[in-house]
Amino acid sequence: MSRKKAARSKGGGAAPSAALPPAAQGPGRAAAAGPRGSATAPELPRNGGAAAGRPSLSSSGEFYDLAFKVMLVGDSGVGKTCLLVRFKDGAFLAGSFISTVGIDFRNKVLTVDGVKVKLQIWDTAGQERFRSVTHAYYRDAHALLLLYDVTNKASFDNIQAWLTEIHEYAQQDVVLMLLGNKVDSAQDRVVKREDGEKLAKEYGVPFMETSAKSGLNVELAFTAIAKELKHRSMKLPNEPKFKLHDYVKKEVRGSGCCRS
Amino acid sequence: MAADVHKKKGWEVPNGSLAPGDGQHTERSESPTPGLAQGTEPGAGQEGAMFVHTRSYEDLTSPEDGAAAARSPEERRGEPAEPSSMEQISKDFSELSTQLTGMALDLEEEMRQSKEGKLEPSPQTTRRDSVLSGKEEEDVTMDAWRMHRKHVFVLSEAGKPVYSRYGSEEALSSTMGVMMALVSFLEAEKNAIRSIHADGYKVVFVRRSPLVLVAVARTRQSEQEIAHELLYIYYQILSLLTWTQLNHIFQQKQNYDLRRLLAGSERITDNLLDLMAHDPSFLMGAVRCLPLAASVRDAVSTSLQQAKAKSLVFSILLSGNQLVSLVRKKDQFLHPIDLHLLFNLISSSSSFREGEAWTPICLPKFNSSGFFHAHISYLEQEMDLCLLLVSTDREDFFTVSDCKRRFQERLRRRGVHHALQEALRTPFYSVAQVGIPDLRHFIYKSKSSGLFTSPKIEAPYVREEEKERLLGLYQYLHSRAHNSSRPLKNIYFTGPRENLLAWVTSAFELYICYSPLGTKAGAISAVNKLMKWIRKEEDRLFILTPQTY
Repeated sequence: MSRKKAARSKGGGAAPSAALPPAAQGPGRAAAAGPRGSATAPELPRNGGAAAGRPSLSSSGEFYDLAFKVMLVGDSGVGKTCLLVRFKDGAFLAGSFISTVGIDFRNKVLTVDGVKVKLQIWDTAGQERFRSVTHAYYRDAHALLLLYDVTNKASFDNIQAWLTEIHEYAQQDVVLMLLGNKVDSAQDRVVKREDGEKLAKEYGVPFMETSAKSGLNVELAFTAIAKELKHRSMKLPNEPKFKLHDYVKKEVRGSGCCRS
Repeated sequence: MAADVHKKKGWEVPNGSLAPGDGQHTERSESPTPGLAQGTEPGAGQEGAMFVHTRSYEDLTSPEDGAAAARSPEERRGEPAEPSSMEQISKDFSELSTQLTGMALDLEEEMRQSKEGKLEPSPQTTRRDSVLSGKEEEDVTMDAWRMHRKHVFVLSEAGKPVYSRYGSEEALSSTMGVMMALVSFLEAEKNAIRSIHADGYKVVFVRRSPLVLVAVARTRQSEQEIAHELLYIYYQILSLLTWTQLNHIFQQKQNYDLRRLLAGSERITDNLLDLMAHDPSFLMGAVRCLPLAASVRDAVSTSLQQAKAKSLVFSILLSGNQLVSLVRKKDQFLHPIDLHLLFNLISSSSSFREGEAWTPICLPKFNSSGFFHAHISYLEQEMDLCLLLVSTDREDFFTVSDCKRRFQERLRRRGVHHALQEALRTPFYSVAQVGIPDLRHFIYKSKSSGLFTSPKIEAPYVREEEKERLLGLYQYLHSRAHNSSRPLKNIYFTGPRENLLAWVTSAFELYICYSPLGTKAGAISAVNKLMKWIRKEEDRLFILTPQTY
């Protein structure tokens, strides 16, 4: 489309050094910014050394062993920021809708199997005019959480378009998860759980339904991603392979009375 | 991307606007103090300015907006200024036609009217209905909708709604169609519609291809000022899209629905309109500084200056629409309008309160064809101190984010953190500090620095409508002082509830509001005293030594 063309031409040749994290982060930085450009060569395993070294200090003053970039994407108004705030601060942003401007960047350190994992979370604006900015950050992302709103059919229909975009811009081995948000509003639901599951299966993507309002599965979504990324980067020889799909299936909880 | 940054020295037209070259011979004999040459007035920067040189909204309306409004001749209260080039434009035929409809603005009368029927809607005449036809189909809120003092509409040249201050754009599409029809009808005759005046309403049109902006107002603002606000809205839209992109879109598809690209920005535009109704910054075309001891400000500026990166063009620290410090790249000047747009962006969203935001933004007065990338974050959550780092490189988030960290570190090391916190506790000073009993409020703008200062609005202007009324009086004086066909130097205004005095020279603008019992002589001596006070306090109220990287 014309707009894209105009916006992208400015992107031009981007210096790969641009995305370096603060130098003070020490050993952890290798994890945060692996060499880019070679999407085929999985870069995460190189970070194995990071865990063995001295823990790094994140900008918020917390120590961590590994750092990964996670991006939240999806249509405007599906609840990306709310999901993040629920995860980060355990609160729900009630009241009027505030749309994110550009990209919002926050950190959260999780402990996964005794390893401190720092998630650098990019909360993106869903609006079309910010697409060119978000595109630029896709390729740095280690994981993507793709959201739709179960009370908004259009946001679900757009998932395919988002997947196409992800395919085009993100790394090939990016960890991807589909989330159907806002399941607390049961009366307004227009996208059935089965529809989400079906679509996810079609694309081979793990899927769960979430609610930023009630907190359902929010922690799980981020933890599952952190686990997967951690396992990928520090593969121990005798450890069984971590299967994200199975983990999600086992841990996920339903929105209604019947727990799965 | 260096290509985004153009040196635009062309803006610094030495004397491109209306004001005469030097103040000396245009001063009236009764002027309280001898005219100050520009650059020596209180608040003038000692080492050059940090903004693109602007005087006020003449910059907005000319020369780019060449067709500055020429109002019908009005009763004059001061001396006429020297004839200016703008008067030639008034020969423009289209302006003659506006003059025919121009109703002389008699403020006293208008004030009486507004006092009597403050909340009563003016009788709805058929004339207005014909202008605003289509509203009848609106929902139950119709009356409430009509009651708004100012409506703002943005539409595309195809007549498609882009933005409406109140009510949904869809519901107003036929109204917007009528507006476009009016515009096109006159354009067919090689003419341009500028405003319609009827029944206390002003309908003002601003045409900025591919957009048309329309305001329907029953405020006391002049047509020129309403047009000035519409231009701000236009620049606001450009700041989201760039001029290049906007034009490209409509070249490709004339009937494009621009709301798609502007989704989520309504709040920003709404906020801009709210701000313009309350904040004199927009009227003055200048920026207000947070009152801060010079030593603290210098320490902040130095810290900001040291936390630089290659791609950074501007580092701006602000607190609630007041500037704390601004550091810029050498030879790059920010335009006050661009800074206002940045202020508005920040105040319109609470989403910057946490985390770090990274967003593309076009500064239309700097370069309307490209995006900068702004890193926006609050220094501390409880502290109303927002740091804005403007970079040319979209990919530079981490470098710029590191600049923030370095800035905070330096700030801590210099130990000004506490002093800064203290200053934030009292972001506005009281007019009582000046020590002039009858003085209620004032606005003083230094033209060379593009900065202004103004105390807190205090009693008797307590209620919101009282505050707006005071700003309305300033607006009136400002519009008289800057009337493009008959600018005034001195205005003395006696009202039922307060007296005002405006004094505009080539170096500064001063508007004071004082007790209705005060005399003219008293006002003049107050001005003298006030000027001395501002001079004494200038290093606290202004940024005298702007920094570059």
